Amino acid sequence: MILEIAKKEARETFRDGRFRILAAVVIALLAVSLGLGWKRYSDVSRQIEAGRKATRQNWLTQGEKNPHSAAHYGVYAFMPRTPLSFVDDGVDPYTGVSVWLEAHKQNDFKYKPAEDSNTLARFGELTGAAVLQLLIPLLIILLSFTTFAGEREQGTLRQLLSLGIKREDLAAGKALGIAASLGMVLVPAALIGAGVLIFLGDPRVLPDTAARLVLLALFYLFYFAAILGTSLAVSAWSKSTRAALLTLLGFWIVNGLIAPRAFTDVARYLHPTPSAFDFAKMVAHDLENGINGDSSTAQRARELQQRLLKQYQVDRIDKLPVSYRGVSLQEGENHGDEVFDKRYSELWDDFERQNAVRRAGGIIAPLLPMRSLSMALAGTDFAQHRDFAVAAENYRRMFIRMINDDITKNAAGKDLYVRGDDLWQTVPEFQYVAPGVAAVLRANLGSIALLLLWTFAAVCAAWWSARRIEVL
Amino acid sequence: MTWGIFRQEWLSLRREGAMWLVVALVASFAGYGVYNGARWTAFQTRTLASMAQEQHARIDKLRSSIRQFTGRGPDPRSAATVGDSTGAPYAVLPPAPLASFSIGQSDLYPYYFKLGLKSRSTITESDEIENPVNLLSGRFDLAFAIIYLLPLVILALTYNLVSGEKENGTLAVALSQAVALSALIARKVLFRALVLLLLVAAVSLAAIALPGVDLTRAGILPRLLLWTAVVLAYGSFWFVLAAGVNALGKSSATNALLLSGIWLVLVLLIPSSINLAAESLYPVPSRVEMIQAMREASIQANQKGSMLLARYWEDHPDLASPTGGAEGDASFTTYAVQMEVDRLTQPVFDHFEAQIASQEAVVNRFRFLSPAILAQKALNDISGTGVDRYRGFRASFDRFLTAWQDFFFRRISERALISSQELDSLPKFSYPDEPSGAILGRVLPAFAGLLIPVVAIGLYANRRLRNYPVAG
Repeated sequence: MILEIAKKEARETFRDGRFRILAAVVIALLAVSLGLGWKRYSDVSRQIEAGRKATRQNWLTQGEKNPHSAAHYGVYAFMPRTPLSFVDDGVDPYTGVSVWLEAHKQNDFKYKPAEDSNTLARFGELTGAAVLQLLIPLLIILLSFTTFAGEREQGTLRQLLSLGIKREDLAAGKALGIAASLGMVLVPAALIGAGVLIFLGDPRVLPDTAARLVLLALFYLFYFAAILGTSLAVSAWSKSTRAALLTLLGFWIVNGLIAPRAFTDVARYLHPTPSAFDFAKMVAHDLENGINGDSSTAQRARELQQRLLKQYQVDRIDKLPVSYRGVSLQEGENHGDEVFDKRYSELWDDFERQNAVRRAGGIIAPLLPMRSLSMALAGTDFAQHRDFAVAAENYRRMFIRMINDDITKNAAGKDLYVRGDDLWQTVPEFQYVAPGVAAVLRANLGSIALLLLWTFAAVCAAWWSARRIEVL
Repeated sequence: MTWGIFRQEWLSLRREGAMWLVVALVASFAGYGVYNGARWTAFQTRTLASMAQEQHARIDKLRSSIRQFTGRGPDPRSAATVGDSTGAPYAVLPPAPLASFSIGQSDLYPYYFKLGLKSRSTITESDEIENPVNLLSGRFDLAFAIIYLLPLVILALTYNLVSGEKENGTLAVALSQAVALSALIARKVLFRALVLLLLVAAVSLAAIALPGVDLTRAGILPRLLLWTAVVLAYGSFWFVLAAGVNALGKSSATNALLLSGIWLVLVLLIPSSINLAAESLYPVPSRVEMIQAMREASIQANQKGSMLLARYWEDHPDLASPTGGAEGDASFTTYAVQMEVDRLTQPVFDHFEAQIASQEAVVNRFRFLSPAILAQKALNDISGTGVDRYRGFRASFDRFLTAWQDFFFRRISERALISSQELDSLPKFSYPDEPSGAILGRVLPAFAGLLIPVVAIGLYANRRLRNYPVAG
């Protein structure tokens, strides 16, 4: 019986010209956004690959110089694009593409792509994620708001129930029918997406990417089920199709437009972050006075000298068997690292706290946990950006230490210490491995729980209100 | 008769309770939006104030160290130090008079730079700190409430203006009085428009009572008038659109569907499609390539080092010929190299600018397709958070930076010292508020773009209503 109802529902939907137009528009938008997303992914990946090679080449062929000059010359690290960024580019437009790794200083990522876009970008980029998170739910609402309210208005609900059809069977059949119509739109899109990844994607990361894609598809299905359940419940509750439509459109607006902004404001209010000016001031203050605020640069230098003199049993700095300059450079790095660790952790933890507040807004808007999950699985969320930033910073500390160690060991007693390519070559190239899918899932258990909760609650609400639906 | 209809409308809306809900909703959206905007403006103002304080203290310190200079240690009067750090001011773009109404692009573009003698690209890469997910989510400001939410409220209030009365059977009763249907509708629309738009205007006006808004600031009143006029024109568009759809004679549910579809197309789909088209036609390359170009340029320039210096003297024969010998030249070579890097990389920067400008031109050409784009650009322009004001600031800063660096390079080459009196007469930056006339010039086409459809749809609705099937 359920299947019969589903078939009838799907057939009716397909015969409806409005659905066909709507479906065609959504498919076209999805195809265009995914196609352009893929083009952007492959263009930017190529540029990043070229940049990566060039920065390494520059490092290796920088010629003879003092190693500390080389440390200042530094290298660039470029945030790689993940294959699934063509579905959801997440925060990529709003984080800088590269960071300069040099002596003394943890730099910020520079050049946000969003700064290089036109005014309309702020209306929202038409990405695969936008279509999936905003437009498909609208399609679901438009397909389902008449489900019960419409049958009742036309008087056909009474006939149906007089045939002895159980109310919950009717609800299940209708839900299946709508899902089947949607499937006709979404399955081809998902298959094309998978095909692109398999045939054009980077084979080295294919297993991880495939797992991410499957999970992404699964979570989107849960999201759509949550929207469908909500729509059916509202359609069963509402006195008229008009009321059902208005309620559901209201829900869609709160979910897609208001909640993301409103919870962002709440998050910002609860966990304010400093201005760039104040942040730089705090970092400079800590570098000068120490993170406890109780030492000064001069004092730390004196202490270091005392310690070295004692350690090597000499009475003057120029009698040290090691280069004082090398030791003091590294000592400065160690001090800086402490400060950067403290300040950047504070800042980034505040970002994470803001994100957690926003995620809690998922109680009202299922879009919020869905969006977090989508970005996370696409590898374009803040957590993975931070992971890259930390890896790049660790690499910076590692290679600066290598350089300083070389100065310490070999430059003692030399006025002019110059090294060449052989030293540059001992510094390994920066390699970054993104966190695997398991780690991503673990980091997003909260979002997963919220999304599943929504799906469960919406399906229960639909079932419950279908059982109690009034005939008149 | 007008007052009779108004009274009737007032009574029926009041009884429904819908009006109060709408009033409460609009007032809270607008009020919340203004509050948010004001918080952001206050953040910027606070940042600029602490910057001014830092600059003041720094220059005071410089002045006293110049006065107390005894000739021992580094000379505080050195032009290189004063121009690059101790005496370098900030060039700031303070929030415009109505900035709290629309956050616009102001959370993305830098609103201050610190002057100095480094290369242009180093100086101009200043960024405000912000959680990238916050940027992705967007801001809930008054402009957002007006562009996205106000149309929805208008549509919710008017989608069944005629169809509802027809479905209730009250339309025939109303028309049994000596009143033409089009006149009745016109007054119904007018009444709702008056209530709603006056409310928005009142909330906006009340917003100027917020702390931080300086009513005496030049240009604030014309801007307020312009703002109100744009809101009225934009609101009228949606009211007339609803009347036009009502005139088609469909059911209330169909009207709701149709109007929300039009909203979706005009507010979300057309802007993001134009954006997509602009980005595809004039793609902005990734900054990765630019970083590499800058590196290559600095390698080249460094190799040419002394030659560049020779060329500098050739280009500036008016300057006193260097007499300080080789050592003085060596320090000056740095600047010559830097200028050469700026010169070599200029085409790369120009390419970025040109691509973005071309994108913006596409947006400008097609903005008449969507009243939302027209309104967004106009509201940003009026509040001084649009692209044009930032571009103007940037261009004016670029000129000032050139003047600043020329001044100091000249001093450095002359081996001149900066006296404490001279500190007050150093080049100063200010970016004047745009004259209201210039804003009006940019906003005027938007009025045409909004009001021509209003008239066209109004005439069409009027004609359709003559043949409206009142019963059956």
